[in-house]
Amino acid sequence: MKRFKTVYLVVITVLLAAYYLMVGIYLNKHGYSNQESLFYIEKVQIIFSGEGDKLRIMGLTSPILPFYIVVFFSLFSSALAPVLASAMGTALLFYIMASSMMKRNKDNFYFYLLTGIFVLHPGILYTACSGKSIYLDLILFFLFFLNLLKYYNSNTTYHISVASLFFVMLIFTDYKLIWLSLFFVPLVLSISLHSLNLGEKESLFRLFMSFNSSSLRRKLINKTFSIYTIIFLLPIASILIYKMLNLTHADDLNYFIDSPYATWNIITDKLEYTVTQTMGQYDISELSILVSFKALIFCPLIILAIYLFKQHTYQVLTLLTPFGLIEFLKVKYEKVNLTYEYYLLFLILALLCIIFRIRFIKNQSSLKICLVAVIAVQCYIGYVFLNKSAIKEERNFAQAVVHKDTAPRIEQESYDLAGYIKHMPEGTHILADDAVAYAIVGYTNDIHRFTIPFQSEYLSAVEAPDKYNGYVLIANTANPMLGYTQLTEAYLESIQTKNSALRLTKVYITDNWTLYKIM
Amino acid sequence: MSAFISEDLMNDTVAQPYSNARDSEISKILIGDHFLAETDFEKIDKVYAETGASFVKIILTFGFISRKNYERSLTQAGYTFEQIREQPFDDAVLDKIDLKFANERLALPLRVENAKVVCLMADPTDQLFIDFVRMTYGSDPHIIVASDLDITWLSHKLLGNKYVKSAVFELLNEDPDNSALTTFTDKQLIFIFSFIGLLAAGFVLSFKLTATVLNIFMSVFFLITISFKLFLSLVGSKFELFQAVTKSEVKAVNNDELPVYTIHLPVYKEDKLIKKLIWNLQSIDYPREKLDIKLLIEEDDDKTLNAVRNLDFPAIFEVIVVPFHMPKTKPKACNYGLHFSRGEYLTIYDAEDIPDTDQLKKVVAMFNKLPENYICVQCALNYFNRNENFLTRMFTLEYSYWFDYVLPGLDTLDIPIPLGGTSNHFKLANLVDLGAWDPFNVTEDADLGVRAYAKGYKIAVLNSTTYEEANNDFFNWIRQRSRWIKGYMQTYLVHMRKPSALIKKIGIKGFLGFTFFVGATPIMFLINPILIVIFAAYVIFDLDIIRTLFPDWVLFISIFNLMVGNILMIYVNMMAVFKRRFYELILFAIANPIYWLMHSIAAYKGLYQLIVKPFYWEKTNHGLSKSHTQTNAVK
Repeated sequence: MKRFKTVYLVVITVLLAAYYLMVGIYLNKHGYSNQESLFYIEKVQIIFSGEGDKLRIMGLTSPILPFYIVVFFSLFSSALAPVLASAMGTALLFYIMASSMMKRNKDNFYFYLLTGIFVLHPGILYTACSGKSIYLDLILFFLFFLNLLKYYNSNTTYHISVASLFFVMLIFTDYKLIWLSLFFVPLVLSISLHSLNLGEKESLFRLFMSFNSSSLRRKLINKTFSIYTIIFLLPIASILIYKMLNLTHADDLNYFIDSPYATWNIITDKLEYTVTQTMGQYDISELSILVSFKALIFCPLIILAIYLFKQHTYQVLTLLTPFGLIEFLKVKYEKVNLTYEYYLLFLILALLCIIFRIRFIKNQSSLKICLVAVIAVQCYIGYVFLNKSAIKEERNFAQAVVHKDTAPRIEQESYDLAGYIKHMPEGTHILADDAVAYAIVGYTNDIHRFTIPFQSEYLSAVEAPDKYNGYVLIANTANPMLGYTQLTEAYLESIQTKNSALRLTKVYITDNWTLYKIM
Repeated sequence: MSAFISEDLMNDTVAQPYSNARDSEISKILIGDHFLAETDFEKIDKVYAETGASFVKIILTFGFISRKNYERSLTQAGYTFEQIREQPFDDAVLDKIDLKFANERLALPLRVENAKVVCLMADPTDQLFIDFVRMTYGSDPHIIVASDLDITWLSHKLLGNKYVKSAVFELLNEDPDNSALTTFTDKQLIFIFSFIGLLAAGFVLSFKLTATVLNIFMSVFFLITISFKLFLSLVGSKFELFQAVTKSEVKAVNNDELPVYTIHLPVYKEDKLIKKLIWNLQSIDYPREKLDIKLLIEEDDDKTLNAVRNLDFPAIFEVIVVPFHMPKTKPKACNYGLHFSRGEYLTIYDAEDIPDTDQLKKVVAMFNKLPENYICVQCALNYFNRNENFLTRMFTLEYSYWFDYVLPGLDTLDIPIPLGGTSNHFKLANLVDLGAWDPFNVTEDADLGVRAYAKGYKIAVLNSTTYEEANNDFFNWIRQRSRWIKGYMQTYLVHMRKPSALIKKIGIKGFLGFTFFVGATPIMFLINPILIVIFAAYVIFDLDIIRTLFPDWVLFISIFNLMVGNILMIYVNMMAVFKRRFYELILFAIANPIYWLMHSIAAYKGLYQLIVKPFYWEKTNHGLSKSHTQTNAVK
């Protein structure tokens, strides 16, 4: 019976993966793309076809885990690798959640409900078909919280250590999630306080008592510190190690988070910030305190999830940590909108709680009706969130799904320019800076045509472009990413001042880019 | 019983009174002096029924009377105890008695003088021995009353040669391939020197390339070893709540059905610990008559012997004196003790060990549950003096990790378990079948674990702990650790004489586990300081030569290893003390890199000793702890 269930689950997972792949590839062929995918595609081309300092690309491209997964899927198709990764990854997420569900709940209804969510929820579809690395965030987030909940039940070091390992992976998938560790401080204190052998039951009084007795205080601090260390030593140490590697190989501790050569976030955040300013709008729902409320609207199921753990202080505090996280992110990165990914965390968390606790609810039939209704509403809200998102990539996805023929390409001009470059004669060399031009390099799909910063001759080529290259790709003044590249109009002027014999002719112009031919 | 004793004597109905201790003159004296009560004789009879030992042996080794009181009582009754160590002896007389019989009766015939056989006796009224002398030598005995310890000492010294030879050479004769008498075989020497030669040639021909290759090899080796250890820890930690034997199973054990249990206590100059030892043994929850406790004392160890002699309270162990023979090692002493052991199961404790009180019963229950091919159960070791100083804290971190995570991990993955020094419980018959301990190996326990797997036997891990005294002195620690690391090198060399044969016996998984655990441990400690020096030189001096030896990607891997390796090992140590709820120790795990440097010092010392004196047993001094918070109560 168990084996039959496993086979059944595998079959459904495979079908789901095929469904995601089909939608993802279809959208991709019709032009849907995003900055993250384009960034990875370009880096993968460097690894497989480039000649130069690949170590920095291989070791310091960030976030590193989704990048490596894309590298793996590039073995099958370099252009579709991000979509393959997200489709397979989301199917894997389904498998992990569904197997966990089947292990704990005999009632197949909840399994079908989960399947329904994975088939219909716009957020899950976005995760699976966009080619973004949200799937990995969700998998690791689910496993991290699952192991924490298991730890509360079993009190074994194993579960807390495994949770810690998943948290390490989580921050190497999305560095911002390291701030989650801040919100575990009260939780850990509460766990330690609860474990003290005191007659007093009320937490506040327990705290008062333990702070006023030296031995209890010592015990409390020791235990709080220990739990915190066990959960967060590895993640924090991993970041320090990674920073060390950045220092030794890029002469900058924060290269992986600050350099546009290492991560796509810099450029997308900058783009988004520019767009927001240009639009002159301020989305009131993105105000710090209202973000939590927005999360509740996005996923009302989380209220049920918290209810399922009533009278379980640790678990409830644990469920509240993501609220703390999004509030913190809004304060720390105030100019950047919260991406869809962070709202999806609540959906995953709510489903985790259902997996863990739903069997303990007595009145199952009314609960099921209620659940179906809430999830249906949630699916609709999921679509609204996507369609009305302040982030262009997310809006584009909703439009691409609904109006299949008019999928707006996020980097249409880059795509067109790449098309032009593709048709240039063999052996053409273009001096370009992939910090900002990665989309063009990626779409061109021929790394040998470019001289870009990872190559040793790049600096010489920048100094004397006429000796190395026939063309130079310049970011126009209107280009929002102008500040991140050296190859600008100012650069051309300085080169021409140095070398008055240098003559340049414009061969291709877009709003943001100009391709010059060096005569 | 000895073959030298006449069958008639043993079967004669006249011999029956020997079993009735209360009729002997000595017992009447002891009752008269109120050292024994009438009620004690029921217990003595019970012990006799179980052991068949002489009356004096029973009362002195099963906790009925102290040696001091026994001597006092007999002296008051007119007997005179003499010093006998320098007594002349006649080999012809000694040839007619076996050590086991002499040991059992605490009596020894020495020579014929004035038509009488001069005999040493702890109980001058032991009729069975007197009859034995009359029948064997055809003369009456001339009895010299002496301390049982002196008689034991002399009888083992004069008659123990056969047994001590067996203890030393049994494994060598039966299974020479597994004996560590030869440290390096010819093939191993050829391999080692060829490797060194190739390396030297490589350095001469292309220094940079050779250094880079070597560097990569070391980095990868480090990474695999550390990852494997983390994996094992996670596997081990998964089972941390698993109770191999539950409390209710222990409760269900029927005392009457328990087998005789031998406990070996090999000691050397542990005079300060004898009182503690007795206290700890008293606490063990096991029927006393079914305990066969052997205190194994070296012939030249008068300190410990006198400490036993001067005890003010009854002892509950039997003293076995191990005659002098090289190598003077613990496994040799234990092998010797095996000849006198009568238990179905056997375990070894150090003098300062405090086992959980229900440990023996748990082991019995465990063996009853396990399949026949399980011949050993390893209990966890930990320390009672963990908060004494830096060393004891680090030791506790290390042991918690080793016994709580690594061994259960190895057990789960069915990889040979390098046994801990003590608290490993054997089926005695199988232990003998294996050839017992290798007296030439200074980590005989680790070696035995591998040998057991190679012969198709299995070892299980039990949820019971023995608390030991953590080494709290730096030099003492270095001595102990250098022996352990040398032993690992010895063990690896012994079993790697025929690697293909080893793979056949323990499988590829077992082979890799053995290599990464027993083989890799000394290598890592030897390499570690070299890498740290290179790294420090790179960081401080930014030497160009180092930069050339570390091409960018090698540097990347090396720094990754250095950081990740250290962090992971620190983390697994933290996990282990977290499990034990020793929260105050968690922070000390960060000091592990310093602790590993100490290991490196010990490793180099061990390597030196492996070459110049491979069988030398670096003695660890015990009893240095000032900690008094010892407990073995089962919680």
